[in-house]
Amino acid sequence: MPLGRLPAWLLLAPALLLLIGVFLVPIGWFLVASIMELGTPAEIWEEVDAVLFSGAVAGALINTNWIGLVVTLLVLVIGYPVSYALSRAKGVAFTLILLCIVLPYFTSTIVRTYAWMVLLGRNGLINQVLLGTGLISEPLNLLYNRTGVVIGMTYVLLPYMVLTLYAAMKAVDMRLLQAAEGMGATPLQVFLRVFAPLTLHGVIAGVLITFILAIGFFVTPALMGGPSDIMIAMLIEREVELTQNWPAAAIMTVVLLTVTLILYGLYSRFSGALEGGAKP
Amino acid sequence: MSGKSIRISRRLLVATALAAPVLQSRVARASGEVIVRTPGGVYDDIMRRHVYDPFTRETGITVRPVAATTAKLFAMFRANNVELDLIDTGNGQLITLERMGALAPIAYDSWRWSKPEDITPELRKRTQVANFVYCTVLAYNKETFANGHPNSWAEFWDAGRFPGPRMLADMAAGSPNLEFALLADSVPKNQIYPIDIDRALRSLSRIRPHIRRFWDTGALSAQMLSDREVVLGSIWNGRLQTLIDRNAPLAYTWNEHMIQVQALGIFKDAANVAGAQRLIDFMMQPHVQAGYAKELIYGPTNEKAFSLLSPEEIARMPGGERSRQTGFYQDVSWWEDNRDRVNRAWSRWVMR
Repeated sequence: MPLGRLPAWLLLAPALLLLIGVFLVPIGWFLVASIMELGTPAEIWEEVDAVLFSGAVAGALINTNWIGLVVTLLVLVIGYPVSYALSRAKGVAFTLILLCIVLPYFTSTIVRTYAWMVLLGRNGLINQVLLGTGLISEPLNLLYNRTGVVIGMTYVLLPYMVLTLYAAMKAVDMRLLQAAEGMGATPLQVFLRVFAPLTLHGVIAGVLITFILAIGFFVTPALMGGPSDIMIAMLIEREVELTQNWPAAAIMTVVLLTVTLILYGLYSRFSGALEGGAKP
Repeated sequence: MSGKSIRISRRLLVATALAAPVLQSRVARASGEVIVRTPGGVYDDIMRRHVYDPFTRETGITVRPVAATTAKLFAMFRANNVELDLIDTGNGQLITLERMGALAPIAYDSWRWSKPEDITPELRKRTQVANFVYCTVLAYNKETFANGHPNSWAEFWDAGRFPGPRMLADMAAGSPNLEFALLADSVPKNQIYPIDIDRALRSLSRIRPHIRRFWDTGALSAQMLSDREVVLGSIWNGRLQTLIDRNAPLAYTWNEHMIQVQALGIFKDAANVAGAQRLIDFMMQPHVQAGYAKELIYGPTNEKAFSLLSPEEIARMPGGERSRQTGFYQDVSWWEDNRDRVNRAWSRWVMR
């Protein structure tokens, strides 16, 4: 029987079973068991209240969302032209651009983050070059602060945006652009009135997936951030490892998971529009 | 994928998978092997040379070091599925495990190689015995401070007299340097505990503008000093000594160093409790301790080991008489009781 005739649920079954068995069940079990450990609903609420409304969690959530937003915007601004170039490139140029984007991701995040630390440090390469050429007289603070976190995360997240945008841009029918030009539109008008609207759903999908990934970040802010650059995942890790306060970790996890699921809901709506949207 | 949500879930997954007894079949292990939790890395190589291999030659019992975070140890015990026998970790974590009822008493009575009375009394407890002491010292860059260096935590706090970027330990390192903050605020060494958290944080606020970064791992603290990212800082003596031995222009003072303890405990439900007891006995011998302490640059806990070390070697190590004079022990039971409280206060403080 050809694969196409099999019902979709059967094709999905192995992946679904795996996800349910090794992901959903354990994480659900952990969350429920940890929170139940607290006792009566009143006692649970008391702890939820203490965790959520302690200044730390609120502060971390604000940091998390703010950093996520800044990084997502930067990734979009940098990624959009790159994706355009990629979607129009052919042969060797295409392979080269793709390699440049994907190749660094064959090494681990920690190694890449340490590489950034060598570049950005007070006596790092960038500061030495700038000091050497006399452009600055004091080393710039590029590391162990918000700047460092944003640089590091932007770099790590760039490919997710580029590849998402690439898919949307590749689907744009170039004849539409030619038609617009033929009817006397300036290049700016072609971009604003034809190309940008046709790739908008890709932008939204890319923004959401980048933001979802960004708010769960841990390694980069932990290594490159300053003392106050605490993101929610770092607080969760600390409750699990350091204070062994698993109920508190579970409560924070639920918060992060909820935000992520809401965003994912939005993402799946817009990526659903991807097929419809790209048609002429 | 680098998102921590993924990373965290993976870790939780490990914990929960461990905690699902139905999925686990207890693999019967021959008594011919002791599995020990260690900090990993170079530590394992040193211990293999000085402890594990000689122990295997003597007894025929092999030793397998494994990595495990505190949370994993915790999960193993809660799931009633202990995968290892001996735990080689900070004494604080062992206190937590003892309070959970996870540890077996150390069988001092049946020691044949070592004498319990040779072990420093404060380091010989019912369910844990220390295998070495390490310490946090005040380190400085010799080139930056060629004409006089800070010699106490009060002077470390004096950024007017000793300018330059600094570092101290972060909460994520296990405990932030509240003790040094109090010493800098003229609290006498013997009155540090119980720590007045608010006072310590107020004191830290004064030096915070000069802190380049609070370090969370030993590796980071060493890197920041050697890259001249900071010129002053608190750091574990072994990490620092390794840099100095590689000719980094760094030095430190023994004044007001904080002694911390690495210790051994045995899971009471472990598959090979007897083998673990014998390994502890073996590890506590003076000549064995002298061997690994010399390489780790940490202090032995068997007082007899000092006589097997040269004065130059002892000069590099914490422990012994000098520590009694110029250092102080970190009060880990205070930390175990208050870590949660400190963690929340710290998070609020750093995000201000």
